Amino acid sequence: MYVPTGLFSLVLLTVALGAQALTPSHHLSLSDVARLQALLSQPFTDLASAYYSIVGLSKLGASVADENDACHFLKAQLDPMSVDSLFFAAEASQAISDCEIPVSNETRDILLAAVSEDSTVTQIFRAVSALSSLGLPLASQEVVGALVARIAKEDNVLAITTALQTATRLSQQADFGGILEEIEDLAARLDDLGGVYLQFEEGLEATALFVTAAYTLSDHVDTEPPLKEDQVIQLVNSVFSKKSWQSLSEAFSVACAAAALSNNRFQVPVIVSAQGPATVSHNQPILQLLVTDVLSNPLASASVVVESAQAVVSKNVILTQCIILSTCFDSGIFELNFMTSQPASGYYQFSVAITGDTRLVASQVELKVKVSTEVAITNMDLSVVDKDQSIGTKTSRLGRKAHGPTHYHQNFAMTFQLVDVNTGVELTPHQTFVRLHNHKTGQEVVFVAEPDSKNLYKFELDIAERKSEFDSMSGTYTLHLIVGDATLENPILWNVADIVLKFLDEEAPAAIQSKTLYMPKPDIQHLFREPEKKPPTVVSNAFTALVLSPFLLLLILWFKLGANISNFSLSPSAVLFHVGHACMLGLMYVYWTHLNMFQTLKYLAIIGSLTFLAGNRMLAQKAVKREKV
Amino acid sequence: LECTMDAFLCLTSAYFPKWRRGHQTYKRTLVLLDNLNIRDTHSIFFRSLADRGFDLSFKTADDPSLSLIKYGQFLYDHLIIFSPSVEDFGGNINVETITSFIDGGGNVLVAAGSDIGDPLRELGSECGIEFDEEKTAVIDHHHYDVSDPGEHTLIVADPENLLKAPTIVGNPSDKPILFKGVGMVADPDNPLVLDILTGSSTSYSYFPDRPISQYPHAVGKNTLLIAGLQARNNARVVFSGSLYFFSDAFFNSAVQKATPGSQRYAQTGNMELAEALSQWVFKEAGVLRVGAVTHHPVGESTPPAAYTITDLVEYSVVIEKLSKGSWVPFDGKDIQLEFVRIDPFVRTYLKKNGDKYSVQFKLPDVYGVFQFKVDYNRLGYTHLYSSTQVSVRPLQHTQYDRFIPSAFPYYASVFSMMGGLFVFSIVFLHMKEKEKSD
Repeated sequence: MYVPTGLFSLVLLTVALGAQALTPSHHLSLSDVARLQALLSQPFTDLASAYYSIVGLSKLGASVADENDACHFLKAQLDPMSVDSLFFAAEASQAISDCEIPVSNETRDILLAAVSEDSTVTQIFRAVSALSSLGLPLASQEVVGALVARIAKEDNVLAITTALQTATRLSQQADFGGILEEIEDLAARLDDLGGVYLQFEEGLEATALFVTAAYTLSDHVDTEPPLKEDQVIQLVNSVFSKKSWQSLSEAFSVACAAAALSNNRFQVPVIVSAQGPATVSHNQPILQLLVTDVLSNPLASASVVVESAQAVVSKNVILTQCIILSTCFDSGIFELNFMTSQPASGYYQFSVAITGDTRLVASQVELKVKVSTEVAITNMDLSVVDKDQSIGTKTSRLGRKAHGPTHYHQNFAMTFQLVDVNTGVELTPHQTFVRLHNHKTGQEVVFVAEPDSKNLYKFELDIAERKSEFDSMSGTYTLHLIVGDATLENPILWNVADIVLKFLDEEAPAAIQSKTLYMPKPDIQHLFREPEKKPPTVVSNAFTALVLSPFLLLLILWFKLGANISNFSLSPSAVLFHVGHACMLGLMYVYWTHLNMFQTLKYLAIIGSLTFLAGNRMLAQKAVKREKV
Repeated sequence: LECTMDAFLCLTSAYFPKWRRGHQTYKRTLVLLDNLNIRDTHSIFFRSLADRGFDLSFKTADDPSLSLIKYGQFLYDHLIIFSPSVEDFGGNINVETITSFIDGGGNVLVAAGSDIGDPLRELGSECGIEFDEEKTAVIDHHHYDVSDPGEHTLIVADPENLLKAPTIVGNPSDKPILFKGVGMVADPDNPLVLDILTGSSTSYSYFPDRPISQYPHAVGKNTLLIAGLQARNNARVVFSGSLYFFSDAFFNSAVQKATPGSQRYAQTGNMELAEALSQWVFKEAGVLRVGAVTHHPVGESTPPAAYTITDLVEYSVVIEKLSKGSWVPFDGKDIQLEFVRIDPFVRTYLKKNGDKYSVQFKLPDVYGVFQFKVDYNRLGYTHLYSSTQVSVRPLQHTQYDRFIPSAFPYYASVFSMMGGLFVFSIVFLHMKEKEKSD
């Protein structure tokens, strides 16, 4: 929460790069250069890495940490029989002071033998470079012949670029013939990407090496390279757009291209940017422009002319023909006190020309300059409007700090004005929003406040009409006023008041599906059916006794009548019949508790047949006995 | 049954050899660029993908040889669209084929910008995300970076505005995120859209160079800077409103809000967030699978042909998570098991037990065909679903209570009758009448 507490009186001036004319959109900033140097300063692993590091650093104007160590490394790793090894060592030693590679006749013969039509272009280049670095004589015209023959065979970008690089090591008096025209041919093979980038499809390394070779060779033979201004800028964009280099050789090629582009005799792309942070306070209402080459080195010889300054919206021309002087010759910073022209806040289009050096490319620059100001809220009124009775509105003028809970049932209105602190002019900033934030649910509803013809902002909230936007959620809402604009230095986020909104027909908040989609669902416990309620056991026990009583009665009555079993003879058939009978009755019980019908019938068949036979025999015996009597 | 299953697998694998290949090979990625220079300006992001084993094919978006599907098969597993301004894709690619690519399970990462073209806006609409118009930008006058070029569109997004889902956005960090691009809003009717990164309350999306004449497309926290979607087939899509978000420049840049007194961070959180997002969207993170499912009555080890109502049952399931290319046991605390017959009858949490998740519960006293169902759908993870069908039958007639206290009179009458019959038969057969002997 931000509560403006006083008048601010700062005017801001901001610089932005425009994009109308084709200007370089990428270059190596100071931090990029530092990272490139750090990458190139890695410990050497072999001769090739030593070559990339030492030569790459020298191109950036730096040098290896310990030159003696580096020199020892080169001598120790040198294989005097290998062209590659000789090339790496010879080239690297050139970049180190007091480091001489010993040369024998044998070495010279190997190098000279490599310069022939049978070697690849790379071999020729390495041999020629090694020969020239070691100060050995070579026949330039022969080399040119070998190169031309090889190019006819190896017609690819890298080979031709390497041939161009080889040519830079030859005598200026040599007849380069068709080789110089290869620059133009190669330039025609560059791919144009969206009119911003120009590169070979072989990659960044090929593009960077081509740039290096083209400028070095042009310098060497003192003819202007056949590249148009737009092409140069597009090449700059594609070589320097990559800020994280994957390999030493890639970093090396970028360093070489940067050195070639910032230091040659024909075309030096110029980078114009705002110095330091893009915002400048009123205390220093000065537009500072930094004019450098692609390596962020200041261009001391340049001078800067602002040709015109035009307001972007109103098209009013503010400045014409005003020369900015360099304040410090080493820093490359050019200053202009733009506030003396008393511009209104907004954007201004500057046409800037960099002069003082004929080599400069992209010297016509369009800049977008921002003039910022400060805003203040005045005449803030908050009022309750009763819809039913048009009279009786309650209005309260709010001071800047005042806020407190107020109840609103129907609707309320807010009016305010926004003025420029410095000039007192009414402003209509880009963002004038009223935000209502529900404390409980975190929901926020934002409305746009719009000014009337007198630039008086009026915001009305009809609660009944807007209930859908609030989901009809009653509660305490924080009322914020948000004012912001790109040309305002003090964006305002003012907690105006806490208000309580009441919706008459409040609905239950609808469950939001997305919130519950990924949540665990509620547990479910199965509700088992309740067992039926049973009558008390006393009753069933009493009836059990009642049911058993006839059997007891039978036994008692039999006893009284003198029932007996005196006729029982202990014959096997009688015993077996009664035991079988008991077993059948027992089987009925087991059937009830344990067995199924089929098991029971099986057992019953066994027991039953035995019992039948025993019973038959017993009854026969009894009949015989009775007849005897 | 197993034999036929094996035969079926062999048959299908002959037709779809891709199914049998290891997970590592699912990394063929097509990268569509506005121009090939983006490969250089976004090299850190692409290198991190290449280092993680992705096979990246870079093409310009209007390359006439583009093709996603050949002979009914997808040529790529993932698609990166880093071409905001494309007006017409080349070759066979259009919004329809990209949508069917997503329907077929392909994952897509889209980065847009203020120069967004119609195809990307259409693709967004298909996925429930509405991009703002061309040339609009997300503006925030309260949270812009000190290096903002002047229109307050270089936004510093607080990490608090990130979705609270570490599988998607990585481990929490306090590094702010730099953003410059177009705003989005989520379709409120699409519950699958994830608000991965939202703007602050003071942000809005509009034309930076025109006064506000109508209500902005996106305002406040509704402004989506990065949005995601996991479709019902687990295909993942991430939309970033900013292509710069993935650039080397934003990865390596320092960040500080322009408000006086703001803290300066030496590096943005973009690189970590971009890496986490790419791991999520290309299914390296947040992928779950179901392993062995077992269920049996407590005290036994094999499932019966049919369970009986009110049985005490133990269910266990193995759930695994993909981590750095291999499957490891998943550690989740809120996995639920449902026992379902049309509606769930029981829903209970599974407890982790060694490598397995298991629970014991009593079957309901309702019979029918049920399913053990694990339906685990959590933010950032693939939808995990496993169902196992079992039948539950009622008690057999022998399984009821034999002696109910209330029915004792009936039992007693039967047993007394049986006892009476036995005693009577003895007495009847063997009684000697006294009168006759006397």
